[in-house]
Amino acid sequence: MMAERRRLHLTQRQGFIFLAIILAIVLIALIIYLLLALSGGGFTRSGGEVVEGLKPLLVIEGPGEGEKPKFSRPMSAAFGADGNIYVSDSGNNRICVFNGRGEFLFEFGEFGVAKPLPGAQNSWAEGRLNFPLGVDVDENGNVYVADFRNDQIQVFDRDGTFLRRFPDPLQEVGKGSSGQDGTGIAVTDVAVWAGKVYALDAYQVFVFTLDGEFYAQFGKPGSGPGDLDHPNGIEVADDGTIYVSDSNHNRIIAYAQTGDVLWNLGEPVSDIAKEVEYTFGLPRGITVLSDGSLLVVDAFEHALTRVSAQGEFIRRYGRRGTQPAEFNFPNGIDDTKNRVVVADKENDRVQVLELVE
Amino acid sequence: MKRACVRYMPLGAIGGPHSLRTRTVVVVAAIVCAFTLSVSVAYGYDELTPSASAGCPDCHGLESGFTSPTVAPTRKGPHGGYTTGTQKCQTCHTVHVAPAEGVLLLPKATIKDTCNTCHDGTGGNGVYGVLNARGITPAAQHRIEVTNVVPGGDPGGGSTTRTFSAADDYLTCSDCHSPHDAITVNAFYGDRTRTSTDTTYPLSPATNRLLKKQPTSSPWSVDEYGSSWCGGCHEGRMFGSAGVINHPVETETAGFYYDNIVRVTGTGTNATELGSLGGNNFGYVMPITRSAQQSGHYPICQQCHEDARNIGDTTPGQIVGAEVFSVTTSDGQNAANNPRFQTFPHESENAYFQVEENDDLCLNCHIPPG
Repeated sequence: MMAERRRLHLTQRQGFIFLAIILAIVLIALIIYLLLALSGGGFTRSGGEVVEGLKPLLVIEGPGEGEKPKFSRPMSAAFGADGNIYVSDSGNNRICVFNGRGEFLFEFGEFGVAKPLPGAQNSWAEGRLNFPLGVDVDENGNVYVADFRNDQIQVFDRDGTFLRRFPDPLQEVGKGSSGQDGTGIAVTDVAVWAGKVYALDAYQVFVFTLDGEFYAQFGKPGSGPGDLDHPNGIEVADDGTIYVSDSNHNRIIAYAQTGDVLWNLGEPVSDIAKEVEYTFGLPRGITVLSDGSLLVVDAFEHALTRVSAQGEFIRRYGRRGTQPAEFNFPNGIDDTKNRVVVADKENDRVQVLELVE
Repeated sequence: MKRACVRYMPLGAIGGPHSLRTRTVVVVAAIVCAFTLSVSVAYGYDELTPSASAGCPDCHGLESGFTSPTVAPTRKGPHGGYTTGTQKCQTCHTVHVAPAEGVLLLPKATIKDTCNTCHDGTGGNGVYGVLNARGITPAAQHRIEVTNVVPGGDPGGGSTTRTFSAADDYLTCSDCHSPHDAITVNAFYGDRTRTSTDTTYPLSPATNRLLKKQPTSSPWSVDEYGSSWCGGCHEGRMFGSAGVINHPVETETAGFYYDNIVRVTGTGTNATELGSLGGNNFGYVMPITRSAQQSGHYPICQQCHEDARNIGDTTPGQIVGAEVFSVTTSDGQNAANNPRFQTFPHESENAYFQVEENDDLCLNCHIPPG
């Protein structure tokens, strides 16, 4: 005997109530979503469409809490060995730390002046920063920060505890540098590799031991091969090749560990009236991908440029804009496990992205 | 007032419970779709892909004053040299995704913020904030985007209000500088011999600093950077009307400007020559009694108003005591160098942008009467 199928019958009033409940739930969900999206804090998972070869994974706009819930011109970002993301929040003179899901963990640093002019107070104390730029993390999880306007590098452990600083910002370094008053180094970016710290000065590359002992320097002002003018990105490949974004010369330079030039890609502007298709507009941050190729942040092209390990242009990624996978004067970059994190400076955010061919 | 044309259908009358569920799904889907579409951005034209046949001048023509990209072969980045083959406009202007609160399709809300995008010190020396980074609160500033009151702006004496280019008619960067290098003053040797890098370029380290020949609100246009350039806004400093007497200054009409002043040739001498104010201190003194070349002339504004520095001891009329510092390292960042780069005329640690303060300034040229 077939069971009699029971059909649900709603009265008009019941139907109206049912629909009202559904609509109320949807409305509440939308309100919550909008609040999260527009609250200006924290992160948003992106997962948007692929744009010019970039798949957006995460957009982080700031801690989302505290007195400064949003970034102010973040200039650099780096992955830690544990997958955490360290953001150099330059305009706020701090480092913000997030986990791999973009959730805010903690921050460290505040404003401090280590090189006061006569008549000014020295307000520097351990961990205080003055427009931090580049950041890198070594295999032990220690964090190296380019403390730009204090002409020094500061080192913190993975929890943000100050460990040491170098060079002494009030002492000459090596054969001389572009630090203010000729002391310290005007450091824009740092890279840690094989027990050494590589740092950029306005016209040179400086190398220190992890403890901060001066080891070597090379590069000089000028426009010849290997000469530098305000470089803003440095990275060292597994084979020891040192890659530098020679920013004001619109080129990338590959150096051997000896400081000898292996190749240049791009050329300084020598005649502005000459119509030339330049490879780079303003190269800034640089990172080495797992296949040995380079990914260069081009601030004026608002894009990422990929270059082979032999110095050949491969392709560009991304475009200008404010949507995910779009940039507005991006500056710093790092990569891990096929993901890249980009400091999207003038959008006041960092983005985690995946390269899609 | 008309009511919206909406019919409220009795739900139960449309087709029973299945129709109810169907309608619920449709309504929810419609809301979600509407929300999704509302936050999407549609692009009608890809302005970022380089294309030789679609340069900005194709539509907009060249900047006013340009007949050809004739800027000097020095580094100007996106500031000039626009041709049908270049794509520089998009460096600063964005056609479709500029901030709603912004101006001129710039990437930031204000002109000052847009300039600071690059001029933050990482590509050269910074502009605003340089002194604060060294622990100094500036004693003087050309305050940007906070005022349009010009000290000494009234030709009859006193301050006056002028109309500049930022919101509320406030002064902003582009009132003095042309970001497109259009109708700019002749190049001059900067206060410092700029960088050792520049000396490798084919021409001199001279620069026009993108200074307009005629800053906003200036009644006149000048070719050379000197007193007349400053006087375009600070007109009251140029005239002595209404009973006001100013310290006399040379103007470019007298042939004296930043690169053409009478200066002493070196320490321990009163020999003079015509030369640039940049690169050393010798131009910063006009002692009395004056040399034959100095006789009958006055200083230009920048001989007293410039980057703060030591230009001599407090010995009255110290022509022999003129300081001999000159720039020897890139950007003058060695503490022993003088002049050292600061950020004139944007901010100064001395009041009124004075080179030296108080009697120390006056005594460089004047011997107090006995």
